[in-house]
Amino acid sequence: MNTIEERLWNYIDGACSDEERKAIDRLIEQDEAYRSKFEELLSFDKQLAKMEMDEPSMGFTYKVMENIRAEHAQQPLRARINPRIIKGIAGFFIVTILLLVVYMFWSAPMAPVNFSKHLTISLKMPEGFKLPEIKNYLGKPLLQGFFFVDVVLGLFLADTYLRKKRLSKQV
Amino acid sequence: MQSKLSDIELIEQTLAGNQAAYADLVRRHQRFVFTLAMRFSKNREDAEEIAQDCFIKAYRSLASFQKQSKFSTWLYSIVYTTAMTFLRKKRVDTDSINDENTYIQLENHSSGLNNNMAETKSRSYYLNEAIGQLLPDDATIITLFYMGEQSLDEIGQTLGMEANTVKVKLFRARQRLKEKLEKNLKSEVKELI
Repeated sequence: MNTIEERLWNYIDGACSDEERKAIDRLIEQDEAYRSKFEELLSFDKQLAKMEMDEPSMGFTYKVMENIRAEHAQQPLRARINPRIIKGIAGFFIVTILLLVVYMFWSAPMAPVNFSKHLTISLKMPEGFKLPEIKNYLGKPLLQGFFFVDVVLGLFLADTYLRKKRLSKQV
Repeated sequence: MQSKLSDIELIEQTLAGNQAAYADLVRRHQRFVFTLAMRFSKNREDAEEIAQDCFIKAYRSLASFQKQSKFSTWLYSIVYTTAMTFLRKKRVDTDSINDENTYIQLENHSSGLNNNMAETKSRSYYLNEAIGQLLPDDATIITLFYMGEQSLDEIGQTLGMEANTVKVKLFRARQRLKEKLEKNLKSEVKELI
């Protein structure tokens, strides 16, 4: 069972049901002791609502932003660069290397290869199997494509780095 | 001059790399965060340290802020946990309000008040001082409810409690606050409330 005070606080805070609110309305109207307690609590509530907040020092915001900026500046470069960019570059180079290796094998003689006197590897393709002509794909346009992607990635990285540097200087 | 953009808009700008937007957010919430920190630390230097720490922590985890709740509710929960950690670090005994030294302090304080000091200082001052004598949890609930304009549900989110628990705690905190005021101000309390 709630005490009178608890019920009145719920009433003042608007934390009671409609039924209870109506019942308290009646009690305040009819019961002098109830009304007096209600007025006391309401006055206390109003005083609490009027309380003033404390003020931090003048340079508070500046200090916070200085700390954030210092923390940002201390961050190592590797943490600031998006790891997806690094993975993208790594992937690009792996694909390039693999293609070059395939090309190298394809350009090498496929007939018996003598690595030494004792080691002989003979690469023979099964009958009817025809390797695609990789030379056709590794022409000038493909190399130009590789260089183009390289340049785009480089520019993207430079742009990201310069943008972050500019933003940290803004604050 | 403070920006008229909403908290969410400022957060979005901050996340897009505009740190000046975050400075606006700090300016907007610094008074309340500092007041809340004062409830725990009881001195300005420590409160400022806590408040700064909170804004830096909030900046670091801004990307993880779920925009379903108010930014202030999220920020106040950071203040609460940071301040509690601060108290633990400083090994402040939260029950120290009941120890002998505090009684002496309160006694001296009361005698000072008897010299008609009540006339010269604002009501807000005495209320703030009495709140400062409460346990941190009580002081926090009263501060969040009256100064932070937080609902019982929002206070529950901040403190990690049910709204009903908050309601009961708020009721008890107000009772204890009244007792402190009565003790500090004696007969003058009637004029105050």
